[in-house]
Amino acid sequence: MADPMIYLDYAASTPVDSRVLDRMREVAEMNCANPSSTHAAGREAQAIIAHAAAQLAGLLNVDPGTLVWTSGATESDNLAIAGGARYRAHRGKHIVTMKTEHKAVTDVFETLARDGFDVTWVEAQPDGRLSPETFAAALREDTQFASIMFVNNETGVIQDIEALGLICREHDVLFHVDGAQAVGKLPIELGRLPVDLLSLTGHKFYGPKGIGALYIADRPGCHVEPILFGGGQQRRLRPGTLPTDLIAGLGMTAEVAAASIEADLEHLRRLRQILWEGIRDIEGVVLNGDPGGFPGILNVSVEDIEGESLLLALEPLLVATGSACNSKTQEPSYVLRALGLSDKQAQSAIRFSVGRPTTRDEVEFAAGHYRNAVARLRELAPMAAG
Amino acid sequence: MSTDPYNARVRELFAAPEHAGDLAGGATVLADDQGVRVVISASVADGRIAALRFRAWGCPHLIAAVEWVCSHYEGELLQALEKFPVDRIMEDLAVPIEKTGRILVVEDAVQSLGRSLNH
Repeated sequence: MADPMIYLDYAASTPVDSRVLDRMREVAEMNCANPSSTHAAGREAQAIIAHAAAQLAGLLNVDPGTLVWTSGATESDNLAIAGGARYRAHRGKHIVTMKTEHKAVTDVFETLARDGFDVTWVEAQPDGRLSPETFAAALREDTQFASIMFVNNETGVIQDIEALGLICREHDVLFHVDGAQAVGKLPIELGRLPVDLLSLTGHKFYGPKGIGALYIADRPGCHVEPILFGGGQQRRLRPGTLPTDLIAGLGMTAEVAAASIEADLEHLRRLRQILWEGIRDIEGVVLNGDPGGFPGILNVSVEDIEGESLLLALEPLLVATGSACNSKTQEPSYVLRALGLSDKQAQSAIRFSVGRPTTRDEVEFAAGHYRNAVARLRELAPMAAG
Repeated sequence: MSTDPYNARVRELFAAPEHAGDLAGGATVLADDQGVRVVISASVADGRIAALRFRAWGCPHLIAAVEWVCSHYEGELLQALEKFPVDRIMEDLAVPIEKTGRILVVEDAVQSLGRSLNH
């Protein structure tokens, strides 16, 4: 019988919390109405959505009216970046982001570049963090928009969003933050941060897939143009029938996270330490990114090991390559390459990401299994391989 | 349709490559190209390939292919090395077309081994 799989890919997605499932089922069974309908059931759906908005706003410490429901972080990023840059385009077309952003951000910037925007891609330090001085130096008179992620999805590196946001405020630059890996995992007083737009998604913090939100700060000049058209929902910013049950689920996800975030963080710190201590003495192992980053993610490379074989040798561990590697392109991670790793170092990178359900036994097994896999592949390799 | 990049045969050969290792005193050849590296060593008895061993650095398809090749040729006459069954390997291991070059590196190693043993 095959070994049971051990899920260590919580940065990719998380299981839905049982309380969230209960709430979604309750709402789905209780109310089938279109929330735009004005009859009693429609009004009830509106009330359910308003309650969810209050729950999510409570997690973020913002006003519920600042939240726009979307299908997830990718859509939120698209709406924020394309909508924000276009809204301010009459004032300037210079926009700024990092090379290590998620594809949901970089691809939108590349699209805007083809549409005539002038993009500056700022470089991370070798530890993955963005120096505020580097960021400030990239801003120009005509800079109107910038996007920096809160927590990097591959390395767990946390950016100094407050410092970067203050620089944006000084330069009157609209500031978007991709918070997909941060919301519900780190305590965020969003209402007190100099952030204009923030993207989030439910499935990264034990909520359902297919639902997310975009925070749009309630301050002058902070606005986005819609990228979807077809109805008057959500102040025409994001038309489409709202999925009441998914939204109720995201609301409950936020409520659960608000109550457990500190305990979750402590749990993740312990697990990450056990995992790292279990493998750090392997010859040639390096930790990628700032060691003080988000404790749910541990990204490691190892010398002289072929990444695709390592990934298969690591089964039944369900982990991710640090690379965006696929069998067609074999491209090493652009994020890790941007941190200065060689192609081979980036190609051997493995991202372990632990979560609320992860146990000590699982990470101890993972560490031992990783050691064995590396030893086996090294034994198999010719001398002076690579 | 399966999205598993490896078929059962690749998984089996990768998990337990019976021919991994070295042969002392035999002929040894190296092929190093396409970002992969293959070393095959062989011993010969009575005009036949008595034993084959390999070491490899590369993806699971490559490692499985070298193990497949060692099993295939062991016990065969030396002349068998002149024919490399690339199509059978590609099919048996469901090697993605973009990895063909890596299988050809294995072919290079086998042909080099043939030349070495026939000298």
